[in-house]
Amino acid sequence: MVRPNNNQLPENLPQLQNLIKRDPESYSDEFHIQYQHFLSLLEVFALNPSEENKSLDDTVMFIAQVAQCYPAACELFPKHLADLLRNYATVLDPAMRNCFVKALILLRNKNLVPALDILELFFQLLRCPDKNLRTFLQAHIVTDIKNMNAKHKDMKLNSSLQNFMYSMLKDANPKAAKMSVDIMIELYKKNIWNDPKSVNVIATVGCFSKVTKVLVTSLKFFLGHDDEDEEEDTESENEVDLKGALLANRVSKKTKKGQKQLQKIKKQAVKAQKKKKNAPAFNFSGIHLVHNPQGMAEGLFKQLQATNERFEVKLMHLDVISRLIGIHELFLFGYYPYITRFLQPHQRQVTRVLQFAAQASHELVPGDIIEPILKTIANNFITERNSSDVMAIGLNATREICMRCPLAMGEDLLQDLAMYKTYKEKSVMMAARSLITLYREQLPALLHKKDRGRQTEAQAERKVRAYGEREVHDTVLGAEALLKDSKTIDIESDEDSDSNDGQWVTVNHSDGEGADGADDDEEEEEDDDDNEEEDDEDNSDEEEEEEEDESNAKDDGDAANDEEASKQKKEKKDLKILNQKEAAQELALTRIFTDEDFKRINAANLKKTVTNSRKRPLEQDRAEFVKLNSIEMIFKKRKHDKESRMETVQAGRQDRERFGWKDGRVNEHCSKTNSEKRKTKNFGMMRHKARSKVKKSFRDKQLSLRKHLLHQKKMK
Amino acid sequence: MASKVSRDTLYEGVSGILENSLKKKRGFLETVELQIGLKNYDPQKDKRFSGTVKLKHIPRPKMKVCILGDQQHCDEAKANGVEFMDAEALKKLNKNKKLVKKLAKSYDAFLASESLIKQIPRLLGPGLNKAGKFPALLSHQESMIGKIEEVKSTIKFQMKKVLCLSVAVGHVGMKSDELAQNVNLSINFLVSLLKKNWQNVRSLHIKSSMGPPQRLY
Repeated sequence: MVRPNNNQLPENLPQLQNLIKRDPESYSDEFHIQYQHFLSLLEVFALNPSEENKSLDDTVMFIAQVAQCYPAACELFPKHLADLLRNYATVLDPAMRNCFVKALILLRNKNLVPALDILELFFQLLRCPDKNLRTFLQAHIVTDIKNMNAKHKDMKLNSSLQNFMYSMLKDANPKAAKMSVDIMIELYKKNIWNDPKSVNVIATVGCFSKVTKVLVTSLKFFLGHDDEDEEEDTESENEVDLKGALLANRVSKKTKKGQKQLQKIKKQAVKAQKKKKNAPAFNFSGIHLVHNPQGMAEGLFKQLQATNERFEVKLMHLDVISRLIGIHELFLFGYYPYITRFLQPHQRQVTRVLQFAAQASHELVPGDIIEPILKTIANNFITERNSSDVMAIGLNATREICMRCPLAMGEDLLQDLAMYKTYKEKSVMMAARSLITLYREQLPALLHKKDRGRQTEAQAERKVRAYGEREVHDTVLGAEALLKDSKTIDIESDEDSDSNDGQWVTVNHSDGEGADGADDDEEEEEDDDDNEEEDDEDNSDEEEEEEEDESNAKDDGDAANDEEASKQKKEKKDLKILNQKEAAQELALTRIFTDEDFKRINAANLKKTVTNSRKRPLEQDRAEFVKLNSIEMIFKKRKHDKESRMETVQAGRQDRERFGWKDGRVNEHCSKTNSEKRKTKNFGMMRHKARSKVKKSFRDKQLSLRKHLLHQKKMK
Repeated sequence: MASKVSRDTLYEGVSGILENSLKKKRGFLETVELQIGLKNYDPQKDKRFSGTVKLKHIPRPKMKVCILGDQQHCDEAKANGVEFMDAEALKKLNKNKKLVKKLAKSYDAFLASESLIKQIPRLLGPGLNKAGKFPALLSHQESMIGKIEEVKSTIKFQMKKVLCLSVAVGHVGMKSDELAQNVNLSINFLVSLLKKNWQNVRSLHIKSSMGPPQRLY
């Protein structure tokens, strides 16, 4: 293969590399020569490290490429490089430095160097004033850690790496700290290091860093929105098209390569299928994972008060604190007076400050602490000397705050604000009305009587909660809806199954038998059934003890029920509602509802919110964060913007004839006659022809006149 | 449509637990808990649910409740032999974090009377809230004992960071149908909280503190 007479191998490194990779054993001598060459070059280079050395560059890359073939010989090779980089990090020529780093990464990818050592070295390299190198290193570290965790997670290695990162975060060198934060955040977003530990390090160290850049990135991490959607999109692009590949394989020429590719694609498809089946890993926003939210909020607040940073950074502080308070329901009473300072219409970014005020209010904050904020908003924003936009924004903010903490509002203030419901500017009017609807739902007692409106069933059922009171349900909300159907069956099943089961009231539910339209009489019957049911329960307890007398006891119970039933029929409706509640509870105790039951329950609950109401019900689902848009929404929402309107117009035009003048030709593709064409021609072109009419001979005139007259006669 | 958990499986599970606890007596009263695994639920996008429900039979009879009351409630508590603290005692804690933490640790739940509850954040600081034991409201209209019973029999479902949750629904000293009733009600209530009801449920287990889990669904 190699001709001995013109052996150029010592000079031609790429060729040697190729040969070595094919057959390492036979070329080990050549490699050793090269390795010795490298060592001598290294010594020379060490004398003057700032100089570029092309041959060293080549040799280093060569050895790094083939190192996996001679692991024993190359054991010290990474150490040489690392020492070089460590000792002369800042002195080295950028190209040489780059080359060494690349060689090390090559070795790292072949797993010839431990991850931790190289990570340490790379963090030291950050001191070099070389931005390209830094971005390169960051990308490498992220991908390296990602690859390490691709197949399985090595907890030990990860934790040692993480500990190193954490120590770097505290490092005095701002560049290193920033990079460590960046790497941690990126790995968190990639779902690799998504454990609470790293989040808490960012929370406790990153958010209190002296370096503004680190501080800001850490705060942004906690404000971060989900960019996940984009990632998902890219993933879906990578999906394999198995069907297409199968088709292509069938149609195109059969080759070995094609077969191989097909196999590969099949494997990938199976893998993708598996991946889809696995439960998706969820990326929590970091704020939920913080261990000590109270401490963090307090610390951030202290830092905020002392800080001299730019306004944007202060806003970020305010935002993070407000989110912490809102999500973890913290008490941080200093925050509210602090934020009140910023509540002026001319304050920069005032809508965001209002948003933070709303985020920081929750049900456990005593009303008298939030009330000053509402007062300030009312005084500074909602007065008629301000423009209507400012008023509307103030009202919207008030609504958002009160949605989270309804007890903060005083009666007088609310009634004053409610008076804007007839304000001449539409935006203000709408905002005031939204506030009224909110309180109709939450605390109708505070509103003026005429503002309360007619209550829906759901509103009437809702109890007003005092401060600190918790909503405790006895049963599934709206389970009464299930009673209507199951009633009639109960009796039958109970009477039939005198001797079996015993302990449980079998409440078989089937749609066919159930009577849907429950008349008054039927409902009264239901009452009785309820009682029966309860009695049966009592009976069943007895039955447990004395099983033999079961049937007798049952009969007695039934007889007693009949007597009771006749009395009960005369009783009033109040009792009936109570009984219904109890029965519903009983139902929830005795059997497990099916999906269909829940469907009925939900429908009944929905119906309650709709009865008696003229407007659509208030949306109950609220996000954890306040949307800025809900405060800034002071315009009536347009149904269409121009583009969507044009779209509908175009869609309507598609299959119809064009409006306006139509040419009456039979065949619309045929050409025009000469006389038709003449009509559209330029007059200058036609002038001499028009003149010929005057110049015509007497006979021609005669002929044309005759023709014309005949034509006219025919038309008649 | 048949119900997702048949009565037989429920009964088998419940009796299995009770048998196991009888086989090997432990030094304490074992609690029975319901463990729920969820699916198709993105805790970031979907609303986190939480709800409290009052069970028919008290699941944790040994719960210690402390009354933070005004004069009238303190007298009542004394008469009933319930532990209590008045505003003065709370002021003595002086927002001292360690003392508040100790107080929170030594009781399982708190009840506070109307006049006092609003001052509690100011008097005690964030300590109680941090421990998740912010007091519940006790008004003068309700009977104290009844309210304490209610607190004892109330369980809370709250989804936090993970797709599974577990709540105590009873103890092994209960009769099997009492336990089954509690399990029934808590399953029903939980499923009613979920957006897609049963479609969100991956698994249901019941398990006593030391015993093996019994799969229901």
